[in-house]
Amino acid sequence: MDETHAIWIEKYRPHHLSDIIGQPEIIERLTSYVAKHEMPHLLFTGNAGTGKTTAAVALAREFFGDDWQMNFRELNASDERGIDVVRNQIKQFARTSPFGGSTFKILFLDEADALTSDAQSALRRTMETYAQTCRFILSCNYSAKIIDPIQSRCAIYRFRPLGKQAVAEMVHRIEKDQNLTVSEEVINAIFYIAQGDMRKAINALQGAAILGREISPDMIYAITATARPEEIDDLIELCLAGNFPGAGGTLASLLHDRGIAPQELIGQLYRAIMKRDLPENIKVRLIDSLGETDFRLSEGAGSDIQMQSLIAKFVMYGGKNTR
Amino acid sequence: MDWAEKYRPRHLSELVGNRESLRQMSEWARQWTTETPPLIIYGKPGIGKTSSAWALANDMNWEVVELNASDQRTKGVIEKIAGGSASTGSLSGAFRKLIILDEADNLQGNADRGGARAIAEVIRQAKQPLILIANDLYGLDGTIRNLCTKIQFKALPAKSLVPRLREICSMEGITCALPALNDIAEQASGDIRSAVTMLYASAIGKDKVGEDDVSISSKDSRSTIFDLVAATLGYRQVTSLQDLNMTVDETPDTVLQWIEGNLGVLPDTKKNAAAYQALSRADMYLGYTYKTQYYTLWRYANILMLYGVHDVMKGRPSGYAKIMPPTRWRQMSTAKRQKLMREHLLSQLGISMHMSSASVRNIYLCPVSLLARQFPQSFVKDYSFDADQLNILIHDPDLAKSIVKSIDEEKKSLEKELKKKKKEEEALAKKNRTLKKTEPDIKVQLSSCNETDSALVMIDDNEKESETNVNKDKKSSQSTLFNF
Repeated sequence: MDETHAIWIEKYRPHHLSDIIGQPEIIERLTSYVAKHEMPHLLFTGNAGTGKTTAAVALAREFFGDDWQMNFRELNASDERGIDVVRNQIKQFARTSPFGGSTFKILFLDEADALTSDAQSALRRTMETYAQTCRFILSCNYSAKIIDPIQSRCAIYRFRPLGKQAVAEMVHRIEKDQNLTVSEEVINAIFYIAQGDMRKAINALQGAAILGREISPDMIYAITATARPEEIDDLIELCLAGNFPGAGGTLASLLHDRGIAPQELIGQLYRAIMKRDLPENIKVRLIDSLGETDFRLSEGAGSDIQMQSLIAKFVMYGGKNTR
Repeated sequence: MDWAEKYRPRHLSELVGNRESLRQMSEWARQWTTETPPLIIYGKPGIGKTSSAWALANDMNWEVVELNASDQRTKGVIEKIAGGSASTGSLSGAFRKLIILDEADNLQGNADRGGARAIAEVIRQAKQPLILIANDLYGLDGTIRNLCTKIQFKALPAKSLVPRLREICSMEGITCALPALNDIAEQASGDIRSAVTMLYASAIGKDKVGEDDVSISSKDSRSTIFDLVAATLGYRQVTSLQDLNMTVDETPDTVLQWIEGNLGVLPDTKKNAAAYQALSRADMYLGYTYKTQYYTLWRYANILMLYGVHDVMKGRPSGYAKIMPPTRWRQMSTAKRQKLMREHLLSQLGISMHMSSASVRNIYLCPVSLLARQFPQSFVKDYSFDADQLNILIHDPDLAKSIVKSIDEEKKSLEKELKKKKKEEEALAKKNRTLKKTEPDIKVQLSSCNETDSALVMIDDNEKESETNVNKDKKSSQSTLFNF
C-alpha cells in the first residue's frame, strides 16, 4: 500500500550505473572507474534533473557495495554554505579513514555553486590534503560559479539536457511497472513540459497517474499548469495578425481561467518564438520584450499589466511584420 | 591515487616551466638567514606554486608547516602556529622549518586589519624561512607585500605540458595518442594540474587513450568559441546559433566580450549602432541576472547578442576572418590591478587621516597628491609605498621608481650600519662577560656549592642586561628610521 505513496522520482531513481538513462559517455567513464576502483575528484555540471545526483549515488553504491552509506556522505551546499562547513564537517569526514577495507570514501557536495567563495577556497587544499582517504564529487548548475582553482583539481563532466528518447525510455519503464497506458502524444507532452529535466517528467507522470491509469496529454498539461503548445501558437498568431483584443482575451483566459503562472507562460512563449520561422530582426525584438517583462516580473511588478503590455508590444512588432 | 598528487613534483628540478622563478627560489633558500625577507609566490592556479614550495623544502631538507585556507586563520591562530614555529627552532636544531602560508590572498585577516597586522608581525619576527602563496599579488595587504620578495609564476605554454603528460603515460604504462595529449594540453590553458587530472580522468581503466576519450572531461573549454563568434558575425553559416552556443559552454559574459572584441568597425553607422544596441541590451540582461540572481534571464542575453548581432551582419559575404580573444581582457586585468592598488592606497591614507577611503578619494586626493609630489620621500617612508603606489599619486613612473629605490638603498645601508653596531656591541658584551667570569671563578673555588648557584645567576643577569641594551639600541635607531 505504501507503494502508492512513494514519490516516483525516488522510487525510480536508478541504483546502478547501468540503469541510468542518458549521458552514455559519462556513465561509460564512471563504470570504468568502478572497475579499476579508483577515481579523481569530479565536478558534475548541468541543468536540474539531468542525473548528477543519481550518478553520484550510484557510483558510491557500486564502489562500496552494501556498506555504501558508511563511506558516502552527501552535503547540500545550499543549506550549509559558509566556510565553517568546510573547516568542520567536511574536514572531519575527509580525514577519518574509510570503512570496510575501501581505499577511500566519497564526499558528495550537492549544489556546490551555492558555496561562498571563502568556503570554496577553503576547499582547495582540503581536496588535496585528504586525497588519500577521500574523493570529492561536486555538483553544480553553472560551472562558472565554481572558482578556477577547484575546477583545476577536478575532472569535469557536463550533463546535457536529456533527449526525447531518454525521457521516453524512463516513461515506458514506469508505465510497465505501474500498469499505465501512455501514448506517443503523451510522451510528446511530457517531453515538452520537461525540457530535458527527468525529475519534471517523472513528477508530471506521477501527477497524471493519480487522475487515472490511461494518461492523456491534457492531463499532463493540467497537472503541470502548462498551456498546450497549440494554445501558445494561437496566441502568437493573433499577435502577429495585429489582433490585440483577441490576443488579450486569450492571454487573460490562460492566466485566469487556466491558472498558468505568468513566468511559466513567458517560458513557453520563448520556446515557441524561437521555434517559429520568423525574420530574425522580429524574433530578436520579440525576445527582447519578453526578457524585459520577465525581468520586471522578477522585480515584483504586477503580472496583469506587464503581460498585457507585452502582448501590446508583440502586436506592434507583428503589425510591422505584416505590412 | 589521484595522479595530480601521485605525480606532484618532489624536487624543484622536476617542475615544469618557470625555470627563472625556481632558480630565484632556490637561491633564496640557499642564502637564507634570519634577515632574509620572506617570499611571496603568486600566479594562476595549477602551475606549481604550492608544489615548488614543498619541493624546495624537500631539496633543502627542511621541515614544513603549512597553513591554508581550510585552517582557521584568525589572528590568534596565525600567531600561535606560524609565530610559534617561526621563532622557535625545530627540536633537533639541525635543519630549518619552512612555513608555508598557502592561499594567502584569502587570509581571513585581509578583511579585518588585525589579521593582516598579526601576519606582518609574524613575518617580521620570523626566525624561520616563510613563503606566502597567492593567486593575486594585490589581494595581499600592502604591509605584508612590502615585507616580502615577490616571485611570479607564469601559466605554462601548452607545448611544455605535453612532455610531462607523456612521461606520466609511460610510467602508468598507457599509450596515449599525441593529438589527445595536445588536446588536453591546449584545453588546460596553462594549468598543469588540470591537465594531469584530465589525463587521469580519461585514462582510468584504459591502456589506450584516443582523441575522442578526452572531449567530455575538461576545464571550461575554449575550443569552439571561435566557431560561435565566426557564426554570429556571419563569416560562417550554421543551422542554429543557439545549439552551437549550448556546445560552447561559455558563460554569456564571456561570449559577449568575444563578440564585442571581434565586431570591428562597421562602415555603415546605422548598422554599427544597431549591433552595439543589441550588445548593450544583452549586457543589461546580464546585469539583471546578477542583480536578481534569476538565471533564467541569461537566455535573453544570449538571444540578443547572438541573433541581434547576426541580424545586423546579414548579407556579409561568408569568408575567413581571424577571431581573436578580446583585447579588452588584457586591459581589464591591468585595470583590475590598478583598481586594487588604488583601493589599498586610499584605505592606507584613510587610516592615518582618520576618515573613510571614500572621502579621501572624493575630497582630499587632490591636495594629498600635490603634497606627495612635493615631498615624495616622506610619503614613501610614512606609508611604506612601493613605486606603483607612489606613481598613482605623482603620475611619474620613472621618478617614483627612482625615489623608492633610493629610499630602499638608504634603508639597507642603515640596516647594515645597525647590524655592524649590533655586532660590535655583542663583541663588547662578550668581552665584558669573560672579564666578569674570571672573577666569580675564583669565588667558586673558595666558597660552597650554594654560592656557585648565586654566581651563575649573576652571570645570567649580566647576560640579560647586555642583551636588553642591544635591543634598546636597535629599537631607538628603528624609531628614528620611521620618524624620519
